[in-house]
Amino acid sequence: MAEQDGFIHLGRPLPAVGAQPTIAPLRVVIQPQALFSVLDHCTRRPLDQQRVIGTLLGTRSDADESQIVVHSSFAVSHTETTDQVEVDMEYQKAMLALHLRANPKEVLVGWYATSSELNTFSALIQNHYSSQGEGTYPYPAIHVTVSSEPGKDIEVRTYISASVGVSPERAADSAAFIPIPYTVNYSESDRAGLQGLENAKVQDNRTATILTEIEDLERSLEDTLGLLDRVSKYVENVVEEETEPSTALGQFLLNTLALAPKVDPADIEKDFNNHIQDVLTVSYLANMIRTQMDLSNRLATAQLTMGGGEASGAASTEKDGRRQNRQGGQTRQNRAESLSLANL
Amino acid sequence: MSLSPTNEGGYERIQVRKPTDDNNLTGEKDKETEPVPTFIRYSDMATIAPVVEKDAPLKAVQLEALVVMKVIKHCANRSPTTATGSLVGMDVNGTLEITNTFPFPVVDLPAEAQYEQQHFNSAAAAPRAKSNTAYQAEMIRMLREVNVDANNVGWYTSANLGNFVNANFIENQYHYQKELNERTVALVHDVSRSSQGILSIKAFRLSPQFMVAYKENKFTTENLLKSGLKYTDILVEIPVTVHNSHLVNTFLNQVPRMLASGILKAPTSVQEIENNPVVKNDTLAPRFDSLTLNTDPYLSQTADNLLDSVETHHVEANNFSYYQRALAREQAKIAQWQAKRKAENAARALSKQPPLPEDEWQKLFKLPTEPSRLENMLNSRQVEQYARQVDGFVAATSAKMFAVRGNLLPGDGKEE
Repeated sequence: MAEQDGFIHLGRPLPAVGAQPTIAPLRVVIQPQALFSVLDHCTRRPLDQQRVIGTLLGTRSDADESQIVVHSSFAVSHTETTDQVEVDMEYQKAMLALHLRANPKEVLVGWYATSSELNTFSALIQNHYSSQGEGTYPYPAIHVTVSSEPGKDIEVRTYISASVGVSPERAADSAAFIPIPYTVNYSESDRAGLQGLENAKVQDNRTATILTEIEDLERSLEDTLGLLDRVSKYVENVVEEETEPSTALGQFLLNTLALAPKVDPADIEKDFNNHIQDVLTVSYLANMIRTQMDLSNRLATAQLTMGGGEASGAASTEKDGRRQNRQGGQTRQNRAESLSLANL
Repeated sequence: MSLSPTNEGGYERIQVRKPTDDNNLTGEKDKETEPVPTFIRYSDMATIAPVVEKDAPLKAVQLEALVVMKVIKHCANRSPTTATGSLVGMDVNGTLEITNTFPFPVVDLPAEAQYEQQHFNSAAAAPRAKSNTAYQAEMIRMLREVNVDANNVGWYTSANLGNFVNANFIENQYHYQKELNERTVALVHDVSRSSQGILSIKAFRLSPQFMVAYKENKFTTENLLKSGLKYTDILVEIPVTVHNSHLVNTFLNQVPRMLASGILKAPTSVQEIENNPVVKNDTLAPRFDSLTLNTDPYLSQTADNLLDSVETHHVEANNFSYYQRALAREQAKIAQWQAKRKAENAARALSKQPPLPEDEWQKLFKLPTEPSRLENMLNSRQVEQYARQVDGFVAATSAKMFAVRGNLLPGDGKEE
């Protein structure tokens, strides 16, 4: 991943050749959705095509617009031969318009390609995306390459470009790609999803069911046990003098162990009882309300069979009586519910 | 490869999945995992799929990683308001593979306006809105050009602790199953559960019995009694699985790569351990959110939801009893009138006059119409949903609590 490459990006002044997008330092944050979408597009590319491209959408933030968050992406069809490239700009425009209707806050920020290669066509497309009018001008367009070579790691790189070329004609089809750093940002809720996908990762058929609460608990416990095992193994190795001891690690472990709370057993007992009661009460109430409602609905439908189609006066008084009873039950239930809330 | 030709928006639509590159990758990369099944699957599709009878029930829903992530993002961004979107994919031998999704456009309202009731539901009603049907058709047409499975297979919505069973939901799904394609599902993503670290996505369909009943829209006591439709029969839950493409799998496998790459060198100080960028940036490290004992927010929220349901039930029950009283009153009046007419006729018969018609009451009195029992049924289903959810929660929580107590009071737990 690029963040390991450890490069630094400095802006440099450029000779002004026509209209230039700024090349001030940028921070790029990619959301996993955009990356997944690129990967999906990659698996759906036409068989004879080496790479596919698409548009990146996102937002610019910070006072000087120096942070770009890539929220999503969509595929754009294009054809590439040895001497020419054709990008379906009509499609790109229509798709952009559609996308913006659902996500009005997002703007065009750049484009992606599913190969790490940068060539003349890349420069052409890059210049188009950063152009005035439909492009990102005056902001630079970012270019994300996602390599998808079988058997190799997926490499993500981000670039912006500066124009180069001795004449305006040359500058139009060439660009200097400047690598810039990026981070992939997983939000809290993304993590839940990723954990779900994580389960599928280790399966042979790459599918997994969605875990229930108790299964999730089990998994967490197993993870914890695994980590504890690892730590105790390390400690054992140190004691056996097989591993180089480390004061820092020892101190860290000691600090962690010191975190175990010292609580009075009576307090624990009290808190435990309080909480478990809360939990069980709500569960009990929920199920009771369910049963009550079911019962009440069943009574409502059952009356008709008793009263018959043409209910006589007697039958309807009976009905009313029943209804009163049921109302009584309902209020009691309400009271129980508010009691439990008071407990909470 | 065509499964079900459907007619939508005036043009004939045939379900086609173009061959994806997945095959190639399988052959080259994942030899050790499953080289054979994937190859067979796609070649099989050409021969088997057309023979598959159309009305085989949907057995399962398979979500592509992309769909999971996109739905999560959209729902989380829109939270706490409802987010809805469309799903595309295809149906392979009873398994609905959902491979892509896009959100529905919503009118962006100022924050305060969202709390007004009529605006509040604009997003929830989006899936069946006219403008969105057009949007959806257009989007799908565009997606088809880039080889995405261009069949609409349903819609998704966000929920908060399972509070999704309402008239809107039913109406949307009815619209989908009725108008567009019978084999569509509604995905429900529970935002607040997912923010606790547990992915919660469920798939639902309306049962055929309910479809029939909803079409006639007669949810009177008599009809319900006759058809035997109960609240448990409204929705059918379909098991959901998630599926990663090879590329996504590769990507996921390399995310925690930094930890896996060789032995870390021993740290020199405690600070270094705490601030180690490798540990800090490891987004997929196992997390222990599900071990926390923070039960109160969940419980109070659930109790709130339950109270709402009780209230709804109360209102419905009152309506119904009001109706019954009104009915009884009217029937008493009719009986009175009939008795009077009978007496009158008897008197007329004595004075040799022709009797007055006895069924005139039908014109004179109007029986009140029975309120629909639908809302009541939905409410019952909703409460059932809550109850199930709480049960699941309690199972995990009580286990955790006993574990904590057993840990903090060693030896004490044995007595009980």
